[in-house]
Amino acid sequence: MKTLSLAWAVASNSFVESVRHRFFTRFSVFAFTAIYASVLAGVMAMEQEARVLTDLGLALMEITALAYVLFQASSTLLKEAETKTIYLVFSRPVPRWIYLGGKMAGVMLTAAFMLAVMGGMHLALLLFRGFSLPEAYAWALAGSFLKLAVITAFAFFVSLFSTSSVSTLVIAGIMWTLGHFVSETRFLAEQVSGLKMIVLKSAILLIPNLQLFNARDAMGASCALTPLAIFSGAAWILAAYFASLWLLARKEF
Amino acid sequence: MSEIAVSFSEVEKIYTRPRLMGAVYNKAVQGLSFDIPAGEITGLLGLNGAGKTTIMKLLTGLLFPTAGEVRVFGLSPSGQAAKARIGFLPELPYFPPQVKPGAALAYYGRLSGLSGGGLSLAVAAALERTGLGPHAEKRISEFSKGMLQRLGLAQALLHKPDMLVLDEPVSGLDPLAIHDIRKLLAGLSAEGRTIFLSSHSISEVEKLCGRVLIMVRGRLAKTVLRADWEAAAGGLETIFVEAVK
Repeated sequence: MKTLSLAWAVASNSFVESVRHRFFTRFSVFAFTAIYASVLAGVMAMEQEARVLTDLGLALMEITALAYVLFQASSTLLKEAETKTIYLVFSRPVPRWIYLGGKMAGVMLTAAFMLAVMGGMHLALLLFRGFSLPEAYAWALAGSFLKLAVITAFAFFVSLFSTSSVSTLVIAGIMWTLGHFVSETRFLAEQVSGLKMIVLKSAILLIPNLQLFNARDAMGASCALTPLAIFSGAAWILAAYFASLWLLARKEF
Repeated sequence: MSEIAVSFSEVEKIYTRPRLMGAVYNKAVQGLSFDIPAGEITGLLGLNGAGKTTIMKLLTGLLFPTAGEVRVFGLSPSGQAAKARIGFLPELPYFPPQVKPGAALAYYGRLSGLSGGGLSLAVAAALERTGLGPHAEKRISEFSKGMLQRLGLAQALLHKPDMLVLDEPVSGLDPLAIHDIRKLLAGLSAEGRTIFLSSHSISEVEKLCGRVLIMVRGRLAKTVLRADWEAAAGGLETIFVEAVK
């Protein structure tokens, strides 16, 4: 009970600081503009308007939320260390595993909040254009959230050994991009042999397959997000959390 | 015999800075052994780089000793039990400027294990005690340096710790703020709390402390009791200057 209450104190504080940040308002304006732009693109797509409006909107929402949570995840621990806020936390009876879990949960809550708000705006625009609720829409949002949660946990891990938030941002951004090309990497690995094959197969093991979370790609399945996708997401988040904890437990301030 | 609040035994702390080729090592403190009795105000004096902040961080569990042992009330300073008995004020503490002092204190109170009515009472008491009661409705961005220092003290007092560890508590404050903080610390000491503070101000340490540790280049050069500097010509300042020369 005490553990949960401590973790919630850290997570809620992290969430409130995230949404209170001056950049959050700018991202909100950008999100609205991006979603509105998807309406214009949809109009140009003629018969495919509903599909383009839905898919482009979902993609823009994901990218917008990604940019903000990456910014938060890469800077939150560094900022707390620079401002010495972390002294006030770690000189108290707050175990580091709870602090880390709370901080990660706070950024993930921010991601969920951004997706929920942008999803609401997007659906309102779709309904305004006279379209019905797109298939697997909630699953698509859940998939985007899982992707963001995986990359948030990874960014926290990188931020614990990286020298600046910019380098964390870049590394996490590269991981995000590579994560969308895992099936192509697998295909390439099957075409080559020797050292190239070993390098590509190792890369597949070290990069989260973010394509698994693209729920609308798997539409028609009984569950748009497969149990494998959910298990994979949870496994990557836990792995990044424990790796981060290993570093944080040894870190001095 | 009085309880020992802090015990350093042959403590050494080496900072390691990784470089492209190897690393650079900087010995911050070495061969450091001393005890601080509970219930006293002990001061830590030294020039810049003497190891004062390192000592503060070692006893709050923010740094780990390279060698030797640090104990706080007989416990490891990294453990939760020792931390629950300490209130720490770092030098120039930061608080989010857009919130009110009560909200900032409530967060740190929750981290200290307080909740519900107990938390509200502790926040109100800490604000009153540090003289911030009349400013409770202001945002932290409107606070002066002295008020921020009081807020720093308030967060350290929230959970009624047995020991206060204060890093430069009067640094950069105006004379009135210094007077108020001195009065507050004297009151806390009268309640039986142990206070361990570092300072560059010899006169402040002289007024407040019963015992002073003088650090020179990472080593404990001298431990001076109030009776010693009261008996010495030129007081604590002369003793300090002789020790660091």
